[in-house]
Amino acid sequence: MKVFATYNIKGGVGKTSTAVNLAYLAAASGRRTLIWDLDPQGAATFLFRVKPRVKGGGRALVSGRRPVDEAIKATDFVRLDLLPADFSYRNMDLELDDAKKRTRRLDQLLSGVADDYDIVFLDCPPSASLVSENVLRAADVLLVPLIPATLSLRTYDQLTRFVADSPKPRPEVVAFFSMADRRKRLHRDVIDAIPRDRGRVADTVVPSLALIEQMAEQRAPVPAFAPGSRAARCYEQLWAEVAP
Amino acid sequence: MTDAFAARPVGPGPLDVDAVHELLSTTFDLVVGTPRVVRRTRLDTFDGRLARAGCRLQHVTETSDERLELAGPAETLVVGVGPDRPRWPVMAERLPAGPLRDEVSRLAGIRALVVRDEGRRLVRRAELRNGDRKIVARVVFDEPSDGGSAEMPVLVLRPLRGYEKETERAWRLVTTLLESVPDDPAPDAADDVAGRHVDPASPAVDLLSDELLDFLTAIRDNVPGAVDDVDTEFLHDVRVAIRRTRSVLKLGRSVLPDGWRATWEPQFKWLGDLTTPVRDLDVYQLELPEMAGWLVAGTDADLELFAQHLDQRRTAARRVLLRGLRGARMRQLLDEWEDSVRATRAAGGRGLPAVALAREQLLRAHRRVVKGGAAIGPGSPAEDLHVLRKRSKELRYALEAFAPVLDEGDVAKAVGDLKGLQDVLGRFQDSEVQRNTLRVFAEEMVADGAGASTLLAMGELVAHLDREQQQARTEFDAAFARYVRPAGERRMRRLYSGGEARR
Repeated sequence: MKVFATYNIKGGVGKTSTAVNLAYLAAASGRRTLIWDLDPQGAATFLFRVKPRVKGGGRALVSGRRPVDEAIKATDFVRLDLLPADFSYRNMDLELDDAKKRTRRLDQLLSGVADDYDIVFLDCPPSASLVSENVLRAADVLLVPLIPATLSLRTYDQLTRFVADSPKPRPEVVAFFSMADRRKRLHRDVIDAIPRDRGRVADTVVPSLALIEQMAEQRAPVPAFAPGSRAARCYEQLWAEVAP
Repeated sequence: MTDAFAARPVGPGPLDVDAVHELLSTTFDLVVGTPRVVRRTRLDTFDGRLARAGCRLQHVTETSDERLELAGPAETLVVGVGPDRPRWPVMAERLPAGPLRDEVSRLAGIRALVVRDEGRRLVRRAELRNGDRKIVARVVFDEPSDGGSAEMPVLVLRPLRGYEKETERAWRLVTTLLESVPDDPAPDAADDVAGRHVDPASPAVDLLSDELLDFLTAIRDNVPGAVDDVDTEFLHDVRVAIRRTRSVLKLGRSVLPDGWRATWEPQFKWLGDLTTPVRDLDVYQLELPEMAGWLVAGTDADLELFAQHLDQRRTAARRVLLRGLRGARMRQLLDEWEDSVRATRAAGGRGLPAVALAREQLLRAHRRVVKGGAAIGPGSPAEDLHVLRKRSKELRYALEAFAPVLDEGDVAKAVGDLKGLQDVLGRFQDSEVQRNTLRVFAEEMVADGAGASTLLAMGELVAHLDREQQQARTEFDAAFARYVRPAGERRMRRLYSGGEARR
């Protein structure tokens, strides 16, 4: 089982869009795929039309009172399942803090479904918290969407230091530009200026496209409702770059 | 929860899709797709390994989609089939990569996937959605495409993980109109003849004739696969049936018609010998990956020339085999044999009861094993162990041939006792035969210009086989002591002399 996490300390950079679209592509390629919506806002859960509710909330999951596999819901897409968000996830840091081996708890929970899935995507909330430390521990690959802006580079710098300071084993960091507009000189400059010595930077650049925003209306991944579109092709390229 | 629920119309007639639609629409948002013709090809190994494991593999072809579906007891695995689709029969390794291939490979082992049946169906798919327009279950209306097929129309309801309650609600609605289809029994379960019982007092000649006809059927069923080289097990199964035929001919000499010994024993010996060279080479090829693991100094690559040599030898041996299997002598042998056995069976047996012959033969065979084994000491030549292996085989065949008139439990345990001894004797002899054959191969390969690395690697294989034979020899005493332990002896005594077989 390979675990990908879409992660950034900053919000609104395209984490959920990336997790949803890549998870869809992974499932479409024949892999049994799970996406865990860790963000209490539940955007990924909404996109898959699943109710953002886990019986007993995050506390029951973290404590083990509710087995992870009982909370999983099938999406409308073959081989793609979802572990929904729950608003109680906003307190997940506290629940994890109470758990034994508090930085490894998510990893332990995922190991319970390791036989059921080939690929797992963790759609993470924007923060640098105990949840994030758990994500670093559980993930094999950290996919970091970056908006090509100066502040993003600063955030990326913080993030790579955060990963470097975390205990081993550490995930591979793969950054990529998201919501990019090549007509803007600043975007072009930032894409060229990103330091490539702190982690891999994917060649694929996901542009800012109306079709990606339409995911919220369509409540489906882009390749499902607009196959062959430029947006779908971008995510296909990105998946081809990072797929195991 | 189950992977799918199936329902069919009550009584003959088509599936009333509109009525089902109307009913389900009272609770769910339901959209039924347009009808599509779907071709389904069911695949399994010739001996039904997938069905026995409760699995059904289908190659499904419809407009713009071609896929393999493996429906198992717990889940259904699906993989798309690209333009380089497999041409059946194929080995599981040739299927598209993924969990489906892994599972089919595990179940099928060394057997190829062959077409078991084919059919065209008219399929309409529907989705049951909840108030959020989320799919909570899928429905398939599956009908014969020509309207006249023997296969009933069926509705299949598939739950989605996490939405079991909704599926249960839908199923309750569906079954007010349709009746539930009982679970499919494993289609090939009836082929399993284990546990067949025959009246012990019935004539021995009848029991043996029936068995000979079963073996003949197995030969006829497997020869086409052996000729087409579908997988190595077809030839293996032909050989097993021949061996069992020869064994029954020998065990039944006193009750089978006069003249059979002189006529048929040589004929089946010819047939067995005809199949031996290819089977021996099959064994080498099947064991090649394991043999590569024996190498200490050499590498897999050092055995490549050996693999090629085996291929060439096998191609040549198969030419001879095919001439024999397709030839007039073979056809005549099987036809005349069938006539002969059927005539004997139809004549109605008299004379010695089956159980009496069973006891007589088991006593004789068992005594020969015990006597032969007891005579083997530290200085006994290898030939003595080879002879004992033959005697053990004869006893095993006798136990299997007369099992229908003996106590099932005692036979199973006696076979288990014997297996331990046969395993050691088999390893002892096979190691020697393989070692000697490897030397012959090596000499042939030298003549063909094989290099030093190949010959050194083969030398390692010979050394490994030598160690294996010595190991088997050291294990022999303990294996024989286990075989002749009092519990086993008592069991054999019950079989060849004691009371009525328990039914």
